[in-house]
Amino acid sequence: MFVFCGIAVVVVILFFYLLNTARKKTPAPTRAGKKDYTPVYISIADKPDSIMRGMDEFKSKVEKTETAGDKWRWIPMIIFFVGVGLVLIDVLLLVFGYFSLVFSGGAFLLWIASFIMARSLRKSDSHDFSPRYKGLKEILHTLRDDLKPDSTFLGHLDLTGAMLPTKVARETKDAQDRTTQHFADQWLSLKAKLYDGNVLRVNAIQKTKNRKSYWKRSRISGKMKSKPEKFKGAEQELKVRIVVNPQAYKIVPNPTFRQGQNIGKYTIAELNTEGGMINIVAKSPFEEVEQDHILNFLKSAYSLLQRKTA
Amino acid sequence: MNRKVIPFIIAFVLSCLVMVVSGVFAFSGIVTAQKFGSNTAWTQPYSTAESMKVIDLTGDGQNELFIQNINNVTAFDGSGNILWSHNYNQLKTTLGDFNGDGIEDVIVFYSGGVDVIINGQIRTLVTGLPIGTPSRVALIRFASGPQIILGDMSSGLLAIDLNGQILWSDDIGNQEIRGMDDARIGGQIHLAVASYDGGVYVIDSNGQTLWSNGSSQLRRMRAFDLNADGNSEVITGSEYGDFYIYSAKDGSVIFNKSLGQAVSEVREVELDGDPSSREIVVGGKDGGVWAFSYDGTTARQIWSGSLSDKVTEISGLDIDEDGKQEAVIGDDAGVIAVFTADGTRNNLPTHSTGITRVDIGKLGNERYVVVADYNEVQTQKVTLSAIPGFTYTPLIVGILVSAVILVIAGILSSIPPKPEMKVSFQDKSKESLDAQRRMLKEHIADVERLRKSGEMAGDAYLARLKRLRGDLAENEAAFKAAGYNIKAETFNCPNCGGTLELGMDKCEYCGQVILA
Repeated sequence: MFVFCGIAVVVVILFFYLLNTARKKTPAPTRAGKKDYTPVYISIADKPDSIMRGMDEFKSKVEKTETAGDKWRWIPMIIFFVGVGLVLIDVLLLVFGYFSLVFSGGAFLLWIASFIMARSLRKSDSHDFSPRYKGLKEILHTLRDDLKPDSTFLGHLDLTGAMLPTKVARETKDAQDRTTQHFADQWLSLKAKLYDGNVLRVNAIQKTKNRKSYWKRSRISGKMKSKPEKFKGAEQELKVRIVVNPQAYKIVPNPTFRQGQNIGKYTIAELNTEGGMINIVAKSPFEEVEQDHILNFLKSAYSLLQRKTA
Repeated sequence: MNRKVIPFIIAFVLSCLVMVVSGVFAFSGIVTAQKFGSNTAWTQPYSTAESMKVIDLTGDGQNELFIQNINNVTAFDGSGNILWSHNYNQLKTTLGDFNGDGIEDVIVFYSGGVDVIINGQIRTLVTGLPIGTPSRVALIRFASGPQIILGDMSSGLLAIDLNGQILWSDDIGNQEIRGMDDARIGGQIHLAVASYDGGVYVIDSNGQTLWSNGSSQLRRMRAFDLNADGNSEVITGSEYGDFYIYSAKDGSVIFNKSLGQAVSEVREVELDGDPSSREIVVGGKDGGVWAFSYDGTTARQIWSGSLSDKVTEISGLDIDEDGKQEAVIGDDAGVIAVFTADGTRNNLPTHSTGITRVDIGKLGNERYVVVADYNEVQTQKVTLSAIPGFTYTPLIVGILVSAVILVIAGILSSIPPKPEMKVSFQDKSKESLDAQRRMLKEHIADVERLRKSGEMAGDAYLARLKRLRGDLAENEAAFKAAGYNIKAETFNCPNCGGTLELGMDKCEYCGQVILA
């Protein structure tokens, strides 16, 4: 009886696994700040058109793989039901007084095959592309005309995840000995020599805080209980450096672009214009900052430059 | 190898395996769909049979059904009509050719006396014998002449000749005689007898004990010449589950096993149809059923099964006429089950009361399983129905499974591979590669600065550094591929493969010391 119940439970679990495979049901985000996107890392050292074309091709390749798997998603479910049919033949034989496990054995093999197929189909699945993927393309598209001819954009777009163990910047402990991890995810790094002779560097960093799970003794029952990890929030940081071409520009102060000023979703935290360079650190309390705000910020940063007359 | 071919190769190998296994199942004949059924021929009321045998008691060549309970002995003809019936008090019976006419007679042992029923007629052999309440009786044909051995409830033994004269007496314990059988030693017949006390004795025609053996309290004792060497084997089952096979010759233990429950019945059944080995089926008080095969030197267990209550009787019948007997086993809950040679259990219609005796034999023109329960005796024609050609169904299932495997392989190979999630867009011009190299070095310097200022944890630092150095190595490779001169600044750790800067003497990732 115990064995029979165990088999029944496994079959039910398999059924729902195959059903979810067929319906392509993806699990909902488990917590804020951890929505699953396609974990892609793009290394950039090319001309903007090549990069944008390559990004489009890459996306279409991923989607093609997914589409190719999509049309077969119901096959494991069908194989499962063929297995059920085989089991029913054995049941029918049993009703007529004959004991047989031959068809059930075949059903077992079919269910294993359907599980393997469902796993393979799931492997071809991919998550949505992060909005930052499209955002980078927009940035490159906007800046491409400002790029020095025949030069390339350099840098990377890291969409592998903001809260990976390898992105832990530091860990702190509170009074109750609970550990909070501080992640620093430099998801965008871009360097470009511009047409006007300036060198532009843009680094976008997502800083995330997350308290690790811990064990706590209940005040009421006295039992040790595991508390889940807790997302404590995220913010964006934008570091911009413009190495100014002294032959073309001089740096001038601008009352609309100074420390503490809000530029879109960003607030300027640090501004340094010494040594012929503009170094800006801007912060945003928002978890996500769209490319428009980054571009707008770059445009605003240029308001510190005054073109020298010939 | 082409990745589209690999799934097909795997699928082909798996399909071959599936077909081989299904072929083995199909052609070995072990897959069958068969069911046992029974049709009742006749039923007669008879209460709590202690002994029952299908045997020719009249010499007409047709079997009768002999049946006995604690106060009656009756014979039915093949159609269930009573041929004769006699009442006694506390009787025990045995069957044997008393008068040498070639026809089995019934020897009745009752309080202090012995009767012989010949063709339904009672002949009193002796009365007033010095023996207690009857427990067992046997007609033993010793070399010196036949003797009727009487056993009582206090382990007393008394041997009389066919005229009723006392030959010898013995006492082998204090409790009931639980087994009495003839055992051959060197082809000569001896008496094997066991009492509930646990004593097993082999006695000659003069009442002399050849050997005896004591063990825990015994419930069953039978003697069979399992290997037909002229020396019988004495089989005992105890109250505490000990199952022993002794040599009748000297009492040495040939085989023993603890079964975990009291042994309630032991019978010989030719389960495997191989005359060179004999099978013994043992029933337990809690419903356990075990089959042992004896090959002439030792025994081995071939299967075990169970019924829901105490096993009361075991009998062998070749129902499907394949040369192998099936064990027909009854229990105290009224269940009759047929166990096949491989231990598969098939139930026959259940009786409303416990089964007391089961015997098999030809009555009239048909072979019947005769079942006696607490209320009645019933003759059943056991039938076997089988689905023809079912033995080849594994091949059909195998073909279906193989086809599905191949279809799955076809589908999986049609899906293009998922692209690498690390993409590099790299211009191959020297200026671009130079610029990339500079930027990577800037990044490495940045990471080291962050590490020094405490803004980056150790693991994150190493992971980031590993990636940047890897990119640097790719940049060097791109330089070389494009035909530009480049001074290599990276190398791979011989232990973990991580990219390191030239000149490092210890791998930062795995700790390997690098001598080169």
